[in-house]
Amino acid sequence: MGVGAMSELLEQIALCIEKGKVNAASPYPPAMKGQDGADELVAKAINDGVAPSDILGKGLIVGMGRIGEKFRDNKVFVPDVLMAAKAMQAGMKHLRPFFESGAAQHKGTFIIGTVQGDLHDIGKNLVSMVMEGGGYKVIDLGVDVSAEKFVKAVEENPGCSVGLSALLTTTMVNMEKIVAAVKAIAPGAKVIVGGAPLTMDFAKKIGADSYSPDPQGALDFLNSAA
Amino acid sequence: MTSRERIHNILKRRPVDRIGVYEHFWGDTHKKWTQEGHLKEGESLEDHFGFDMQMAWVFNSVANLDFEPQIIEETDETRLVRDGNGATLRLHKLHDATPEHVDFLVRDRAGWEEHVKPFLKPERRRINIEGYRDVRRRAAEQDRFFAWAGVNVFELMHPVCGHEYMLMGMAVDPDWVRDMVDAYAELTVNLMEILFEEEGYPDGVFFYEDMGFKQRPFFSLDMYRDIIQPGHKRTIDYAKSKGLPVIMHSCGYVAPLVPGMIESGIDCLQVIEVKAGMDLLELYREFGDRLSFMGGMDVRVLYTNDKAAIDRELAAKIPVVKGRFGYVLHSDHSIPNQVEYASYRHFVERGLELGTYA
Repeated sequence: MGVGAMSELLEQIALCIEKGKVNAASPYPPAMKGQDGADELVAKAINDGVAPSDILGKGLIVGMGRIGEKFRDNKVFVPDVLMAAKAMQAGMKHLRPFFESGAAQHKGTFIIGTVQGDLHDIGKNLVSMVMEGGGYKVIDLGVDVSAEKFVKAVEENPGCSVGLSALLTTTMVNMEKIVAAVKAIAPGAKVIVGGAPLTMDFAKKIGADSYSPDPQGALDFLNSAA
Repeated sequence: MTSRERIHNILKRRPVDRIGVYEHFWGDTHKKWTQEGHLKEGESLEDHFGFDMQMAWVFNSVANLDFEPQIIEETDETRLVRDGNGATLRLHKLHDATPEHVDFLVRDRAGWEEHVKPFLKPERRRINIEGYRDVRRRAAEQDRFFAWAGVNVFELMHPVCGHEYMLMGMAVDPDWVRDMVDAYAELTVNLMEILFEEEGYPDGVFFYEDMGFKQRPFFSLDMYRDIIQPGHKRTIDYAKSKGLPVIMHSCGYVAPLVPGMIESGIDCLQVIEVKAGMDLLELYREFGDRLSFMGGMDVRVLYTNDKAAIDRELAAKIPVVKGRFGYVLHSDHSIPNQVEYASYRHFVERGLELGTYA
């Protein structure tokens, strides 16, 4: 496959992610009805010999980055991000064997959960999707996660980063204990926090490395910290 | 002026003697303040603080009322249960917690049509008639404004299919979500008709409808108008046809949706969550001629328990928003137990002092 054709194919993949075009059968978005989606195009790229790392880095991650930036800038909304993530997953399934063989590699491992006492998961899930779309292996511990569960996951994944989410003023106070527990066993692990009641001041006060009001900010922080 | 007259006027932005006062509390705050001896055993917060409103939440909207919850899996700490909405919930056995939604039978139109839609019948057994009657009587005894309270279509849909399937559905299959909106709006109106005709009308209607999170709504104003607004119009039009004013609550940042909510017919926006990005003064400047407000006082200031900081928060907002007679004092969400009784008492007293008209 020529360089020009390859670049065009990778741009098509990026566009499918950005627009949330999962596969040819998907009616969404209406403007791309009947066209191939991320599912078919990633399979084609592999068949055509495009390197898995290029499919990931120059196609999937590019598309997810665009949607993350638009979401940060309030140009798109949650349904758009969810569809982009769905398209991303459709493409990623073809790359899974290459991650297992080492032909493609994640940027790092990101452990995320909503802190103990809190069951809100939308913000956490959006961050998970954007992180995965940004090239990270994401381990989602779910909601109502105790310090002990975070510590266990950190111990099992040396070199990981950690994301803590809380929506309530009543549960954000549980973050400090978790940050301390994580830092005690992995002082170098970057911990980023997010959620409605939080601020950068609060993040610093509890010993976290950063705070982000949106998923793209969390991704940018981890990329810059790497 | 009685509380009932005051809130009626506030919702129409007509002259009153003072701003209104009402509040939501996290469950353990009432318990803590009672244990500390500030409230008598069994004393209500409405009575204690002289709130102007009282509400009754009496509808059961679970789809299949006859479904016996099934235990799918059980551990020492949790129980995984499927409920009458076809949702799988994780219940905690060792501590009180809201159930965690794990999975849903309804992920698309087919699941909705099989597992939920056929069950949404306006049956009398969905209504806690006695509960409504009791709260209505107690409110009348104190001449308080009595509101029927319940959730509207957005909040009725997500227990059935979860936020993610619902929001993806709004993009991929909007007709499916419109059908859910129509069905839940119709169910709500039909149940209101049964209740109100049998037991009498409330003074107003209070819809809970969380449509935003930090710095953004879940969906765009265009999507609101296209998919959600028809349900809001159906339910609000019904209330208005009976002369009932409508207060709508939303957590999160919903400022971009406010023009659409006004088109739908709301009279008052509650709760104006500062920590999510909502700005009471900005909303007042932009919409204060068409809309009353309840809330918008930053609860993070209250739990500093610093009376000077509380005074500053009140002084920065109340003299402005009382301008058109359309304001009810309320925090920007709920009062947690970190707020000391004396701090909240001070908040109410100082707030009403600033909010009294000469």
